[in-house]
Amino acid sequence: MINSIKKLAKNLTLSELRSGMKITAKEFVNTKITVQYPEEKTPISPRFRGLHALRRYPNGEERCIACKLCEAVCPANAITIESEMRDDGTRRTTQYDIDLFKCIFCGFCEEACPVDAIVETQIFEYAFESRDGSIMTKDRLLKVGDDNEQAISKARSVDAKYR
Amino acid sequence: MLEIEIDGQLVNAEPGEMVIAVTDREGISVPRFCYHKKLSISASCRMCLVDVEGAPKPQPACSTPVADGMKIHTQNDKAKASQKAVMEFLLINHPLDCPICDQGGECELQDVAVDYGSDVSRFSEGKRIIAPSDIGPLIQTDMTRCIHCTRCVRFGSEIAGIMEMGGTGRGEDLKIEPFLKEGITSELSGNMIDVCPVGALTSKPFRYELRSWQMNSINSIARHDLVGSNLYAQTYKGNVKRLASGDNDAVNETWISDRDRFSYEGLTHDNRLLAPQIKVAGQWKEVEWDVALDFAVKGLKNNILNSRNVQKLGGLASATATTEELHLLQKLLREMGCENLDYRLNIKDLDNAIHLQSNIKLADLEHIDQAIVIGSNIRLEQPMINHRLRKAQLAGAGITTLNVKEFDFNYKTNDIIVAPNEIANTLAGVLRVLVEKSAEEVPAYLLAVTPCAQAIDIASSLLNSDKTVLILGEHVVNNAQAASIANLITEIAKLSNSLTLNLTVTANALGAQRVNFVPNSTGMNVNEMLAAEMRAFVLLDVYPEYDFHHLDEALNTLLNNDVFVISLNGFKNDLVAQYSDVMLPMAAMYETSGTHVNINHEMQSFSAAVGAPGESKPAWKILKVLADLLELPGFHYENSTQVLSEVAHQMTPVHEYDTAINLDKSTVEVETIWTHSPYHTDALLRHATSLRASKIGQINTASINAATAKSLSLSDSDTYLGVPVDITETMADQCVFISSNQATNTGAL
Repeated sequence: MINSIKKLAKNLTLSELRSGMKITAKEFVNTKITVQYPEEKTPISPRFRGLHALRRYPNGEERCIACKLCEAVCPANAITIESEMRDDGTRRTTQYDIDLFKCIFCGFCEEACPVDAIVETQIFEYAFESRDGSIMTKDRLLKVGDDNEQAISKARSVDAKYR
Repeated sequence: MLEIEIDGQLVNAEPGEMVIAVTDREGISVPRFCYHKKLSISASCRMCLVDVEGAPKPQPACSTPVADGMKIHTQNDKAKASQKAVMEFLLINHPLDCPICDQGGECELQDVAVDYGSDVSRFSEGKRIIAPSDIGPLIQTDMTRCIHCTRCVRFGSEIAGIMEMGGTGRGEDLKIEPFLKEGITSELSGNMIDVCPVGALTSKPFRYELRSWQMNSINSIARHDLVGSNLYAQTYKGNVKRLASGDNDAVNETWISDRDRFSYEGLTHDNRLLAPQIKVAGQWKEVEWDVALDFAVKGLKNNILNSRNVQKLGGLASATATTEELHLLQKLLREMGCENLDYRLNIKDLDNAIHLQSNIKLADLEHIDQAIVIGSNIRLEQPMINHRLRKAQLAGAGITTLNVKEFDFNYKTNDIIVAPNEIANTLAGVLRVLVEKSAEEVPAYLLAVTPCAQAIDIASSLLNSDKTVLILGEHVVNNAQAASIANLITEIAKLSNSLTLNLTVTANALGAQRVNFVPNSTGMNVNEMLAAEMRAFVLLDVYPEYDFHHLDEALNTLLNNDVFVISLNGFKNDLVAQYSDVMLPMAAMYETSGTHVNINHEMQSFSAAVGAPGESKPAWKILKVLADLLELPGFHYENSTQVLSEVAHQMTPVHEYDTAINLDKSTVEVETIWTHSPYHTDALLRHATSLRASKIGQINTASINAATAKSLSLSDSDTYLGVPVDITETMADQCVFISSNQATNTGAL
């Protein structure tokens, strides 16, 4: 009995509508947080773990020395490496594949890397049009690294003091 | 028996034992680098320091003998602190290049550093760097990583018998390096890779390929010699990538020869036979298995079975095959009623074949007092047996060799150089002395023998020693008096109470004997087959230019168009392709399960470490299906263990042989002894690139002394039977000793 009287009073005074409209009115004048993606983008942390890349030294030599620590640490077994002795006697990979379908973007590979060769960049906008597009081969990884070296090294230098 | 206390735990120990041996037995972990159970104690790394109550300073566990009531702490503050201090010193000069070091993941220093190392280095001075050096095609060095444990040095001087590695300089400048420019040439050198606790010595063919954790390790048996060394085949994605030694004190202790360690390279050689092929109108055609097998069966039926001339069928096998394969082939042939089978392809005259039993166990070989080695360069031909002999010699045994050439042994020997046609006579002299001493009647054939001084020496050394062994080696297999020499040895052994060791056969020849892979009296042996008019052959793993002594006769017979030849091979071979009608690709070593019978008469079974490449199949399966297609009974096998169970309890059949001793000398003016150099004795070895490039793999010489060379008008720059001549004075007269990495040139033999 007492409940139905309360409900009736609420309905007649439109109190719920007014409290809702209060929020609407407040948000109407507040700063917007919705980003108009893809025209607008949110800032990305230097520790962001996006698409992988293999880096080079400034002299153009690839960093990766085929130590296979990333392959060993990878919890998803997404990395496949084959190595050999290159003609100049150095230890190099002949194959370095990351299967992006398997990868869980945990970042263990870049943490394990003793030479900062494999990194996860801030790139997250990518798509494949074929099934095998998910396999990042050594050439593709190096290409990502070459194209984004500036951003990668900047992110690394910003984060360096926390490492 | 003493009682000592380790970490509060009472344990028993033998007097004279070192503390580390006790902790190892009890499963208490003490870190160490220089200690190795099979090497002498050097106590140079100091990593095994433990706290002994009553001692003012921590003591190295590897060189502290146990004493009754001793109280040892391996984990207390004092022990830990000293171990950590040692670790810090060891890491001062060790480079931090684990990511590119092949030892990474299986490195003793890495493991110990995790437990005892510090996170941060206090060392800011420059590290020591040692320039890289090339010590041969088998071992890769990076001496900057060396921690001076001297295991490799001690291995060289104590086990391999030549101190090729050594330390030069002192303190900071101490370098471990080979003394000679030619690097490491020992036949056991690969073990240095196993003993090196860091990445200073690693396998060169394996360099930078894989990490230890990527590979599967499978127990296997090496089948290149009579020892059947136990080892681990380390495989990755269906390929054998590396071989590491296994432990078996009755067989190979913990060492393996380089031949066993590096032969796996041949498995991936381009020359592998990968698909069944049949010859149609003179052209080779790759076909499916069923087509090839049908073709083989049709050929056998057309040439043999339909016309019921099964005596015109022959089966030949090389001794490298497994016991199961040999058993199935002999069963297949005998089920068809064919008794023509043989594995002794390299024997010139089978009526003059050697019959000598081996009745000494490998482990007993090191406890003998006197050994007589006849016709063998045992060090290179059977390295692991030689290792046991070496241990015996170092323990005081006398080793006398009776050879046509003075070979380079890695222990002290009393070398007697005799011409091939004098070996029998010298042994007869020994026998005569023994017969006279035993007061038995001198047999007729010895009446004309006058023992030479050396024979008297040998006889007295045999009589004056307790445990003696007579070792007959492969150089006498084709001696004109081979059978007599073997019979003389049997007689000498009887009279002198010696044991005998027959090294004239190798690989799995004892397995072939076990399954009776020789014809009985109704069948033909290999040489008779090659002389007879045959219509069909089944050849198992035969490479004619290396395996047949009578190559010309063999080719004559096999190349005949009327002869249908089924060849099972692992590798392609031009001559095989010329004479065969069907080639069936078979699995090579480590690709098939099977059994090897070693010199201890021990059956060592192994499983396949990897699958056979391409279309090739294990030979026991091929033979089983062939038998099924021929509708022969009793071939319902599902695995090779079932095949083995048929022969496992079978004793080696005893064949009657002529025990007569004939001392008539051969009248050949210049005797030639042809041997394959140690790394060319089977097809897999001949395809192992790094082994071939090593110094022993390069051996290709016809040794001859100056006088004989002159009589043959040969000089150092000439070749004899296609082999470069090496004029040496330590050769017997009127003979040529060839150790060659080429195909046998038997035309002139």
